[in-house]
Amino acid sequence: MSEALKQSLDLALFWEYRAVLLSGLLFNAGIFACAGLAAIVLGLTAALMRLSRTRPLRWIGTLYVELFRNAPDYVMLVWVHFVLPLLLGFALRTRVEFHPFVSAVVALGLVYSGYFAETFRAGIESVPKGNIEAGRAVGMSEALILRRITLPQVVRRMLPEGLNIFISLFKATTIVSLIAVPDLMYRVSMVTQQEMQPLPLYTGAALTYFAVIFVVATLLRRAGERWRLGTLI
Amino acid sequence: MSEPPCIRVVDVHKKFGALEVLKGVSFDVHRANVVSMIGASGSGKSTLLRCINYLEVPSAGAIFIDGESLGFREDHTGRRTPRPLREINRMRRDLGVVFQQFNLWPHMTVLGNIVEAPIRVLGMSRKDAVRVADECLRRVRLVDKANEYPARLSGGQQQRAAIARALAMRPKVMLFDEPTSSLDPELTDEVLNVMRELAEAGTTMIVVTHEMAFAQVSDRVLFLHDGSIEEDGHPDQVFTAPRSERCRQFLAKHLR
Repeated sequence: MSEALKQSLDLALFWEYRAVLLSGLLFNAGIFACAGLAAIVLGLTAALMRLSRTRPLRWIGTLYVELFRNAPDYVMLVWVHFVLPLLLGFALRTRVEFHPFVSAVVALGLVYSGYFAETFRAGIESVPKGNIEAGRAVGMSEALILRRITLPQVVRRMLPEGLNIFISLFKATTIVSLIAVPDLMYRVSMVTQQEMQPLPLYTGAALTYFAVIFVVATLLRRAGERWRLGTLI
Repeated sequence: MSEPPCIRVVDVHKKFGALEVLKGVSFDVHRANVVSMIGASGSGKSTLLRCINYLEVPSAGAIFIDGESLGFREDHTGRRTPRPLREINRMRRDLGVVFQQFNLWPHMTVLGNIVEAPIRVLGMSRKDAVRVADECLRRVRLVDKANEYPARLSGGQQQRAAIARALAMRPKVMLFDEPTSSLDPELTDEVLNVMRELAEAGTTMIVVTHEMAFAQVSDRVLFLHDGSIEEDGHPDQVFTAPRSERCRQFLAKHLR
């Protein structure tokens, strides 16, 4: 085996820096959680707008979804971090700066809300209209129907697809190092500059990400399936 | 003064675009009466039933429940203002609806379906709601299925559960929209029997049906044709000596 290859598979260096490196994972997890929450809230709002009876709301919803679903997350990240503060600063006539963590949450939250909006919309449309009429017939308000009748069915139906979106979102959190959020990848580059040995560190990072995503996704998928099959037609 | 009719339908019109489905329908339903609405498909009977609780908003005309208008408020000068949806929702509680497709909520058990609205809409405690649900399940003979999900029930059982769900709101009137039309013939009887028992117990009912056997035991039969009431009378009269020729033809086809 060549020396370079041997070196790139030797995880001793990664292990040596494990505390510094793995604490970077907390940033990935934090951004994932915040952006995921934002994506769900914004996505549901956009989906409801797209399904609204009011035409202008439908237009805004469609524009929103198309805009963010088709924006590459890397471009969004850079744009939100560097351009958006300038625009806001110009509008508010003051200096605006985003903390990198905030930029990361906003950018990823927006992009992934576009995906969630479409999944929510398909899910809501798949709930039989009769289910909703039955709610109206017993005097339930539209908000109560959404909360008690529609969404519980939507969530069950979109679970597999939603899990895939969450996995993509977690993977996307690895690009936040580009705007200096000190996540795992960022710390790998920092240590690399000191040790001049990038290959084993990147291998370690790749394995770590893989392990985290694989384990969490598998557990969630199992739990989700069990819950879904228990109650769905 | 005598009490106002339970339901008063006054000159109700319903248009879907250019298509006029109801062309001015009026009738009253008094307490403890069972009214059957019959007629060919497309005659407007289901639309009429759906207009009564505003699942379809009438294009013109009015619906009164116990003398109170469902769609608008009238002040002492007679000026009408549309009722906000919140008030329509409140008044809808008085009208139980049983649908052709049952429309049970698939993510809740039978018991969950029944207690949902009493708890969330009427503000009943869970304990009280379960007690009411038990009583309703007994009436539709489905006590043993309380904890099943709808998907595990037969069509007849699902429809009986749907009847129990509507009864749990203690409505003033029960509206049935072709309750046996999507059931296999051998399952219609168990639903019709429950409906007959409700009728005997004094429940006010409006029933859209193709089951002439049920229409014959109701207090009154309305025959709809092309968006209007063509025949209105006691079943003895309607089934033996209909005044309208179309009603005669319809019955000839359906009474065999």
